[in-house]
Amino acid sequence: MTTLSHSPAASRPVPNPHKSLITKLNMGTGMVVGIIFCWGTYYAMKAGRDMTDAHNVNKVLLMSMFAWSVGFLVGIGAFIGPFRWLIGKDLTDEEQLYLAGDGQGISRYFRYCTDHKVVGIQYLVGVMAMLGVGGTMAMMIRTNLATPGSHFVTPVVYNSLVGLHGITMIVAMIIVATGPFGNYIMPIMIGAADMAFPRLNALSWWVLFTAIPVLCSAWFLGGIPTGWTAYAPLSDQAGPGMNAFVATIIIFAVSTAVAGMNITTTVVAMRAKGMKWNRVPIFVIGATISVALAIPAFPTFMAAMIQTAMDRTIATGFYDANVGGSGWLYANLFWIMGHPEVYVILIPGVAALMEIAPVFVRKPLFSYNAAIAGFAGIAGLSVLVWAHHMYMSGWMPSLNGPFMVTTEFISVPTGLLFLVLIGTLWRGKPWMKLPMLSVYAFIWDFLIGGITGIYLSDVPADSYLHGSMFVTAHFHYTLMGAALTGAIAGLAYWFPKMTGRMLNERGGYISFWFVQIGFNVLFLGMFMAGAEGQPRRVADYAHLFAHANLISTMGAYSVGLGMIILLWSVIHSWRNGKIAPMNPWGAKTLEWTVPYPVPLTNFETPPVVTSDPYGYGRSAK
Amino acid sequence: MADHNSHDMDDAEALPPTPGARVTTFINRKDVRQTVLLGLAYTIIFIVLGRFAYPHWMPKVMSKQMQSEEDILIWFTVISAPIAGVVLGIATQSFMKMHRGDTPPEDGIAIRTNTPVVIIWTAVSALFCTVAIVWGLVALNTESIAAATDAPKSLIVDVTGSQWVWSFYYPQQNIHTHTLNLPVNQPVTFNVVSDDVNHSFWPVQLGVKIDANRLVTTIAHADPTKVGPLDVKCAELCGLYHAYMETSGAVQSPTDFNNWVSSIQATGGVQE
Repeated sequence: MTTLSHSPAASRPVPNPHKSLITKLNMGTGMVVGIIFCWGTYYAMKAGRDMTDAHNVNKVLLMSMFAWSVGFLVGIGAFIGPFRWLIGKDLTDEEQLYLAGDGQGISRYFRYCTDHKVVGIQYLVGVMAMLGVGGTMAMMIRTNLATPGSHFVTPVVYNSLVGLHGITMIVAMIIVATGPFGNYIMPIMIGAADMAFPRLNALSWWVLFTAIPVLCSAWFLGGIPTGWTAYAPLSDQAGPGMNAFVATIIIFAVSTAVAGMNITTTVVAMRAKGMKWNRVPIFVIGATISVALAIPAFPTFMAAMIQTAMDRTIATGFYDANVGGSGWLYANLFWIMGHPEVYVILIPGVAALMEIAPVFVRKPLFSYNAAIAGFAGIAGLSVLVWAHHMYMSGWMPSLNGPFMVTTEFISVPTGLLFLVLIGTLWRGKPWMKLPMLSVYAFIWDFLIGGITGIYLSDVPADSYLHGSMFVTAHFHYTLMGAALTGAIAGLAYWFPKMTGRMLNERGGYISFWFVQIGFNVLFLGMFMAGAEGQPRRVADYAHLFAHANLISTMGAYSVGLGMIILLWSVIHSWRNGKIAPMNPWGAKTLEWTVPYPVPLTNFETPPVVTSDPYGYGRSAK
Repeated sequence: MADHNSHDMDDAEALPPTPGARVTTFINRKDVRQTVLLGLAYTIIFIVLGRFAYPHWMPKVMSKQMQSEEDILIWFTVISAPIAGVVLGIATQSFMKMHRGDTPPEDGIAIRTNTPVVIIWTAVSALFCTVAIVWGLVALNTESIAAATDAPKSLIVDVTGSQWVWSFYYPQQNIHTHTLNLPVNQPVTFNVVSDDVNHSFWPVQLGVKIDANRLVTTIAHADPTKVGPLDVKCAELCGLYHAYMETSGAVQSPTDFNNWVSSIQATGGVQE
C-alpha cells in the first residue's frame, strides 16, 4: 500500500466558469423551481375538475408531487448535462471540475455536487435526520402504548405514526450503510478516483431528497391508515395522505435503481490494479451484493405502487375484488420486494462489522470465502421466500410447505455469518473501542432475531404469532439490533476519515449502553406482549398486556436517550473533536492510506494492491 | 462444543504428535474450558427460558392446534439453545479478554480459516435446519389431514369481518351472533370472508389465524379441547379502529352450547 503526500485541496485554484448556469444553481433554486412546478401543476390540473371526487383529488395530488420532484431536479441543475447531450454537446472540463466541488467549502453540500465524498456526507446527514424523525415517531408510539387506554394520540394519528415510522425507518435503514459509507468510503477502499457515474451519484441523492418533503406532506393530507406495507384494498380506500406514500415509494425506487447500478458498476469496473475479487474488502462485497439485490427488488415495489396509484386515480381495480382484482396480487408484489429488502438492509451492516472485527482483534477475517458464501447464499435464497409473509393470508395454502423449506434454509448461510465473526474473535484479544463493542452487540441481537425468525418461518407456529407484537419484536432485532448496530459501528469506525476528527469516546460508550440495554428491554417486552397474544399496530390494548407494554416503553425511552447522546457526540465531535491521525485504528484497507481532507481524486498516484487487507496476526509456527 | 475439536491446532505452539494428544491439549487449554463452561451456561439459560417462558406468557391452550404451536416454540428454543451457547460462549470468552487503551493490542494468531470447522459448522446448522423443517412439515401435514377427515363432522361457522366488527353465522343452527361460542371436542370449520378491506380472524386461544378477504372465502380449522373463554381479535391492520375490532366467546360443554344456541333461536335466530 502506498503512502501519499498531498496538496491541500484549498490551495488549488477553484474553477469558476462564470458564464455557466451551473454556478448559479443550488438547493435554493431547486426548491423555488420545485415549488413553482408543484403549484403550477396543482392549479392547472385542479381547474375544471370536480374536486369532490376522490379520484380527481388523487390525480391532482400525485401529479403535483411528481412535478415538485422533477422541478427540484431541474432547479438544482440535474438535467443540464443530459440537455447538453440533446443538443450534441457536453459540460466543459471547467464545468465538470466545478460540479465536483473541489475547494468550494460548505456550499458544495447544497449543490448538485458529483464528488462521491460530498454525496456520502449528504447521505450521512440525511440518514441522521430520517432516523431522528422516525425515532421521534417511535417514542410517540411507545408513549401512546405505555398504559392501556392512554389516548396520548387519536387512532387516526396513531395509525399514521405506525405507517410513517415504518416507511421512514425502512428508507433510512436501506441507505444507512450503503449511503454514507458506500459513497464516501467504498470508492477509496477499492482504490478508485470516484464512482463510475458521478453525476448519477449526485442524482441518486437529490432524487431521494425530493422524496422527503413528499413523505412529510402525508401529515398535512390526513395521514396514512395502512402501515408501511400499504396493503390493498385498504390503500385504495385510504384518503389523500396515501398519495404521499405512493409518490415517495416511486421516487425512492428511482433513487435506489440509480444508486444500485452506480455502486455495482464501480465495484466491477473501477477496482485498483491488483485488487482481484479475492482481495476486495468484505464491506465492499457486502455492499455490492446488497445493492445488486436491490436492483430487482425495488422496481417490483414501484410497479405495485403504480398499480395502487392507478386504482386510486382511474379506478383500474388491480386490487379491488369488486371489479375482479385481488389484494393478494398486491401482497405478492409487495413481499417479492419486501423480503429481499430486509437483506438489502442487513447485509451491509454485517459486512461493516466484518470489516471492523479483524482490525480490532488484530487477526485475519476468519474464512473470507465463508463470508462471501453467506452473503451470496442469503441473497440467492431471499428471492424465493416472500410468501412466508402470506402463510395466513389464505393465498395458496398448498405453497406454505415449500416456502417454509426455503425460508428455514436461509438459516444455513446466516449461520456462516456468525461463524465468520466468532471465528475472527476466537483466541483474539479485542481492542475494545466503540466499533468493536458493536460487534458483540450485533452477535447477541442478531442471534435473538435469527432464532425468533426460525419460529416465525414455521407455518404452525406462525399461525399463532403472525400479525402479533412478536413479529414486530423479531424484525426490530434483525433490522435495528443487527443492521443499525452495524451502521453505528461503521460511523464510529469511519468517522475519522469522513470528518477528520475522532468520535467522542465517552459519549459513544454512554450512548451504546443506553441504546443496547434499552433496546433489549424494549423488544424482549414486545416478545412477551406478542406471546401473550397482542396484535401489532394496535392503538390500544387489553389490561392483560399492560406489564409487557410498560416494560417496552421504558426500554424505548432508554433507546431514545441513548440516540440523543449519540447525536450530541456526533455533532460535538464533528465540530470540536480530537483531530484524527491518518490511520487511527492501524487498519490495512486503502481508505486509511489517504489523508484528510481526502484529495479530489482520492489518490495522487493510483494504488496497486498486492494482498487482501486482512494480513494481521502472528503467522503460525 | 464438539465443533471445535480440531480448531486452530495448526498454530499450536508445540504441536502434539498424535491426534489423541492434540485433543487432550486442546481440551485442557484455559480459554477452551472457559468457553465450554460459558456455552453450557447459555445453553441451560435458553432451555429454561424456552421451557418456562412460553407456557407462562401464552394464553391457556384450548385446542390441538394451540398445543402443537406451543410445543414448537418450546422445542425450537431447546434445539437452538446449543447453537446459541456456542456463539455466545465464544463471544463472551473473547469479550472477557478485552484490551483497553489508545494503542492496538499486539497481533493475534493468524487463523485464516479452518476447513474442517467450516464444514462441520455448515453440516450441523443444515442438520438443525432440517430437523426444524421436518418438524414443521409433519405438524403442517397432520393439521391438513385432520382438517380433511374432520370436515364431515365439523361445526360450520361463517365468519364475516367488516370495519370494525366480527359477525358469525352458524348455518347448521341458523343463528347470527356477535360472539363466538363453540362446543368442546367437536371440530370446527371457519369460512371467513370480509365485507371491505383485509382483516385477519384470530380466535387467540385456539391458535388459529386466517385472513378475511373481500369476496373470497378462506377456510380455517380448529379442534377445541378445553372449556374456557375465548378472545377473538383482528390481526391485520384494517384502518381506523383496528385495535378495537375484537369480540369474545367461549368453548363450552355440549350442553351449555346447545342451551346457548336455543336461547338465540328463541329470539328469532339473531343474538341480541
